[in-house]
Parts: sequence; C-alpha cells; structure tokens
Amino acid sequence: MGNKISIIVISSIVFGAFALLYVNAKHLWQKEQYPIVIAVSKTPLSSPFYVAKAINAFEATCVSVTFEPVIGGQAAFSKVMNGEADFGTSSDSVIAFQSLLYKEFVSHAMFVHSDNDVKLISRVSANISKIADLKGKKIGVTKGTASEYFLSTLLALHGVSIDEVELHHFKPEHLNSAFVNHVVDSIAPWEPFAYQSAMQLGDDVIVHDTKNLNTLSFNLISKQADNYDVEKAKCVLEALNTAIDYIALHPKKAQEIVMSELGLTPDFIAWVWPDYIFKLALNQSLLLSIKSQAIWINETQMMNLKDIPNINNFLDSRAMLQVDPLAVNISL
Amino acid sequence: MKINLSQQIIVFSVICAVIFTILLISILWSSITIDLAFKRENYAQKVDNHTNTLKQLMISDDIYAMNYNDDSWLYWQNKLSTLLKFPPKLTAPQKTIQQSLKSQNENVRHLFDQIALSRSKAVNSSVQNHFKVRLMTQLESIRSDSVQLSSIVKKDIHQVIKQQVIVIIFTFVLCFLIVIVGGIKLSKIFTLSLKEVKQAFEANHSGNFQEITLSHHTDEFESIAKAFNAMNSKLSENTVSLEAMKKIVEEKTKVLQQLSDTDPLTKVANRRALFERGNMEYSRGIRGSNQLTILLLDCDLFKSINDKYGHLFGDEVLKHVCNICDEAIRDIDFLARYGGEEFIVILPECDIDGGVDIANRIQQLLAQQPIKNNSKLVKLTLSIGVSSLSANHESFEDLIGDADKAMYIAKERGRNRVEVLSQSALH
Repeated sequence: MGNKISIIVISSIVFGAFALLYVNAKHLWQKEQYPIVIAVSKTPLSSPFYVAKAINAFEATCVSVTFEPVIGGQAAFSKVMNGEADFGTSSDSVIAFQSLLYKEFVSHAMFVHSDNDVKLISRVSANISKIADLKGKKIGVTKGTASEYFLSTLLALHGVSIDEVELHHFKPEHLNSAFVNHVVDSIAPWEPFAYQSAMQLGDDVIVHDTKNLNTLSFNLISKQADNYDVEKAKCVLEALNTAIDYIALHPKKAQEIVMSELGLTPDFIAWVWPDYIFKLALNQSLLLSIKSQAIWINETQMMNLKDIPNINNFLDSRAMLQVDPLAVNISL
Repeated sequence: MKINLSQQIIVFSVICAVIFTILLISILWSSITIDLAFKRENYAQKVDNHTNTLKQLMISDDIYAMNYNDDSWLYWQNKLSTLLKFPPKLTAPQKTIQQSLKSQNENVRHLFDQIALSRSKAVNSSVQNHFKVRLMTQLESIRSDSVQLSSIVKKDIHQVIKQQVIVIIFTFVLCFLIVIVGGIKLSKIFTLSLKEVKQAFEANHSGNFQEITLSHHTDEFESIAKAFNAMNSKLSENTVSLEAMKKIVEEKTKVLQQLSDTDPLTKVANRRALFERGNMEYSRGIRGSNQLTILLLDCDLFKSINDKYGHLFGDEVLKHVCNICDEAIRDIDFLARYGGEEFIVILPECDIDGGVDIANRIQQLLAQQPIKNNSKLVKLTLSIGVSSLSANHESFEDLIGDADKAMYIAKERGRNRVEVLSQSALH
C-alpha cells in the first residue's frame, strides 16, 4: 500500500515538473514571431483570415499578424506593392491584370474559389432580361479586376462585343451608388456589393443567373519573395490551413466569426456562403486561369501588350510545398 | 499486503484479454478505415479518368465545330455527374474537395452548354480559344482536385497502416511485459512459498515442530500454512505424551523385569534369572575357554528350624543367608535362589579352588554372624557343593547337577561342609 502511494507521489512530482518545465520553457523552442501586415479585402472570401485570427491560429506560427482592411483585391495589391503591407488578398483576375504590367509579385496559394461571387445586376426598368439585351447599355465595372473580366467574358459568351456596351469605371464601393443613382443601367459588382444593391432596390433589381459561368479565386500574394518572405508566407499558409480545417468542421461557428468581423447579416451569409469553397491549392488550373485571363485581357484590348509575360513567374510554390505538398500540382 | 493468487491470475488473464480485444477492435477499425480509404481512392481515380476522357474529347475535335459529337461529350459528362452525386463517405476536409469537384463540374456543364449554344453565332477565334481554355481550365481543376483527394487518401492509408503497426507493436510489448513481470512475480511467490512449506515439513520430519512462516502472504498458501500449523500444534502435544508414555513403559518394564528376575522373599535373583545368567556364562565359558565355577548352597536342617521357630523365622533365615553370601562373593559373581532353602552362586573367571575359598568364606561369615531368634542364637549351617566347568558339561544344568551331587555328599558327610565332586564322579 505504502509502495503504491510513493509511486503515485513520485509520478505526480515528475509529471508536475515536466508540466512546469513545458510551460516555462515553451518560449525557448518557440520561434521568434515576425511582425507582418496583411492587406485583407473586406469580403467573406477572406473568411480564412478572420477565422485564423479568431481561433488564434497565427499564434502557433512564426508570424505576428496585423490586418489592413481594404476594399477589393486591387487595393490590397497596391498596398503590397507600395510596401504598406507584406501580404495581400487578390483575385486571379487582379493577378492576370497586374502580370501584364510586369509587376514583381507572386501568388503563394489560392485559398478560396467561388463560381458566383461576381454578379450582373440590372434594374427592371432597364429591360435587360438576357445578356444580349446589354447591347448599348451603360454598365458599371471596376477596372482591372474580376468585375471587368467577368463582364467581358459574359458578353463574349453571348455574342456581344465589349464595344457594343458603354463601360463606366468605378471603385468597387462606388458601383452601388452609381447604380442606385441611375448613372448606369447595370453593374458587375462582387459581394457584398451585389447583395447590398439587391437589398436596397428590392423588387426593382434583377440578379442575372451567371452562376458557374465564371470562377473567381482569392490568393495570398506578396512581392517577389526571398527565403525570408517564403518563411513568413509558410507561416501565414499554416494558419490559413488550420482555419480552413476549422471552417470545414465548424461551418456555423466560422460563419458567426465572419459575420461579427465584417458586420454582416445572417441573410447575407446564407446568400453567399454556399458558393464558397475554401481550400488551399496551387495547381495547374490556377496557372491556366491566370494565363487565359491575361491573354483575354490583352486580346480584348483592355490592355495592349506585344508579349504576354511568363505566368509561371508569378506563382511561388516554395511555401505551399512546405505546408501541404499534396495540394501543389504544378511544376515551376 | 495480502494477495489472492487465483484472483491475481484471473485479473492477469482479464487484462491480457482486454488488451487483445482492444487490439482486435483496432485491427477491425483499421481494416474498415483502409477499406473506406480504398473506396475513396477508387472514387478519385474514376473522377480523374472521366475528366481525362472529357479532356481527350476536347483535344481530339473542335468543340466549336457544328458537327461536334455532343452525344459522346454528354455521355461522359453525365457519367461524371452521376459519379459525383454518390461519393463514398468523406471527412470534412475531403467534403470540401468534393464540393469543389461538384462546383467545377457544374461550371464545365454550364460552359459547354453556352459553347454549344454559341456555335450558331459568329464567334471570333480568340473568343473561341478563350472559352476552350476556360473549359480546359475547369477540367484541369477537377483533375487537380481528384489528384489531391487521391493523394490525401493514399496518405491516410499509409497513416492508418503506420498507426496500426504502432498499436500492434505496443500491444505486444505491453502483453509481453505483463506476462514476463506477472509470470516472474507469481513464479517467485509459488517457488518461495513451496520452499517454506517444504522446509516446515522437513523440520517436522526430524521432530522439530516448526510452524510455516510465509514471506508472501497469499490466501492459498496461508490456508495451507494455517491448516499445517494447527495440525503441527496438535501433533506436538500428542508426541510429548507418547514420549512420556514410552518413559513410563520403560520404567515399568524395568520394574517388571526386575520383578520377574527377583525372588520376592530374599530379593536375590530367582531361578529364571539364574538360568538366564547361567546359560550366558556357560556359553561364554565354552566359547572363550573361560573358567566358570558354581556353588550350590543348602541350609542344613532348615525344615526343623521352620518347624521350631515358624515359617516367618525360616524366611528370615533365608534372607540372612543371602546377606552373608552377598558379603562373601565378588561384584562379578551372581547369587540366585535355586529353590526352597537352596541357593546357587555363579562365579565367572573362577577355578575350583577359588570356588572352594568363597564357599569357605561364606561358611566362616555365617559362623561369625549367627542369626538370633528372640535374642537366642540359632544354629545355622550350610552344605555347599562346588563344581567347575569342564569339557564334560554339555549344559549349565549339567554343571548344576555336579554341584548338586557334591552338595549331597556334603550332607552325607555330616553337613556344614564344602564338597567338590571327585574326578571320577564328574558328569
């Protein structure tokens, strides 16, 4: 009996000592955290970032993160390029546009895609029941973004040339007011602006069914990365991976986090969430998508270049290969 | 601490059984998991194959051509859609891939429909190329997702196998340790306890009634020890009585022996003891050619003393004669009552002359120490026949016979004499 008690006492002491050592010495083996700024686009597409922060996923990595909220991937891109942010969230369309400008940046991975994020909205009074009816109409888009690309391909798919419509360029946050104030007949906004317009105009709005006609992906971008940047990107991707697993396992909780972070309503989340597929990947399809968009942009004279740059240069798989090599399906 | 061996063995067996059951469940679980993983792998492979077929259909013909074989495309497109409708059971992250697959497949379907619809319209080649690439990109997305799913599943299979190997090794090591430690412990308890029991039995056998003291307190051996110790305690009590009894019997036997060898009146050896000793001395004399002489003494006129002074006095006379003889003979000599008023003295290592000397000394002592009856001297004499062992004597009785003859001669020649049988008259 005595023996048992002494074994229990000794075991408790040893266990306690280890626990104490672990708690106190944790910082000894924990790497130094690099302070970084991420320009995060204020859209539910950036959900993995908000969730990662809410569940403290960044704390377990080598980065100490500050978010710089921006509207649209293009703004995020600018923040990264002018050095205000280390990383940013940009759509593949923005990457395609910017690649044509030979900017020195890379995408480390795609973390979400949606086949219904950019929508075409028109007023009932504009009599646009089908895409072909857009001929001669005033359409509001955001230049150099998925909005512009989406509209041009949509028109082409329905046999309408871009010259046959009257394009008006707005910042994403101004598209809605232009639409409401009858400056344009139709707009191609992304969420949450599409939802806001639909809610604001109620019955006087048509949301055209363009689901599955365009896939938009959101990517983690940075300037051309040295090894130091790759290490930071790896840590950000690790946290995103944790957050994406959390979203898959606890979708309701994840939605609550995003709603609270962006001040969104449950109705809006119900509107967009089913279209989102959160997963980390860096694959051939992303490369093809950016390439085809770049060619399209160039050919449709949205930009006018002689040569298309090598898109491979704008993808950097080093960080992703360390985080989830199975999700990398590309040779660079 | 008190141990119950049977309980220990049962607990020991139950622990092993539980561990093996866990192992069995773990193997079953692994087999189900691997089976499911293979189903997922098979599913991912099929998706990949169907997508590749669709890609082939795109590459082999111009999808914008009016004579494009839509049926073949739609056949494989439907096959892929049907396959995606019934996926195997997937984990949450795998479901995300599945959702992506379905979404990309819908994109493919919509894009193909739009392309098919736009065939009749005048679509320039760059638009055509762009949408062909878009379609190809969507198919590539499906393929990427299916490859990723397949890779995850393969990793899962490896992980499950690895885990199972660890579980099996751990279980076997645990069981092995339990069997070794438990076996050694039980064997030690058994061996030591049996040794202690054996020692107690051996001690008991040699008359040292030792209790069993156990080093390990087990119910089973303690019950044996208890029974043994109780038996031992009773046995030791009984054995003490037996020894005491043996002593008494020995003493009684000695007394009885004495009684059977002693004449109750004179307290000298009786006739039975005389012949026992006589035969022994005779044998020794014959065997070792040792000298042996005997005296046969007879109280003269004893009948008239009895008649005159009574039997009680007669008895006193006999006792007196014995006392005189005791005084006269040596330590090694042996006096016995032969019968009535006759006594025999066996004189080992003594020749005829020595015998005569002792006979004379007896007579002298008797003369010097007369017996009195009411302070009145009573005349008492002895006729003594002496015979010495010779080759003619075939038995002790023969030797007595010769002494007897000599004693009668002494009687005939006037009593109160010592006579030796002449050589011619010897037996």
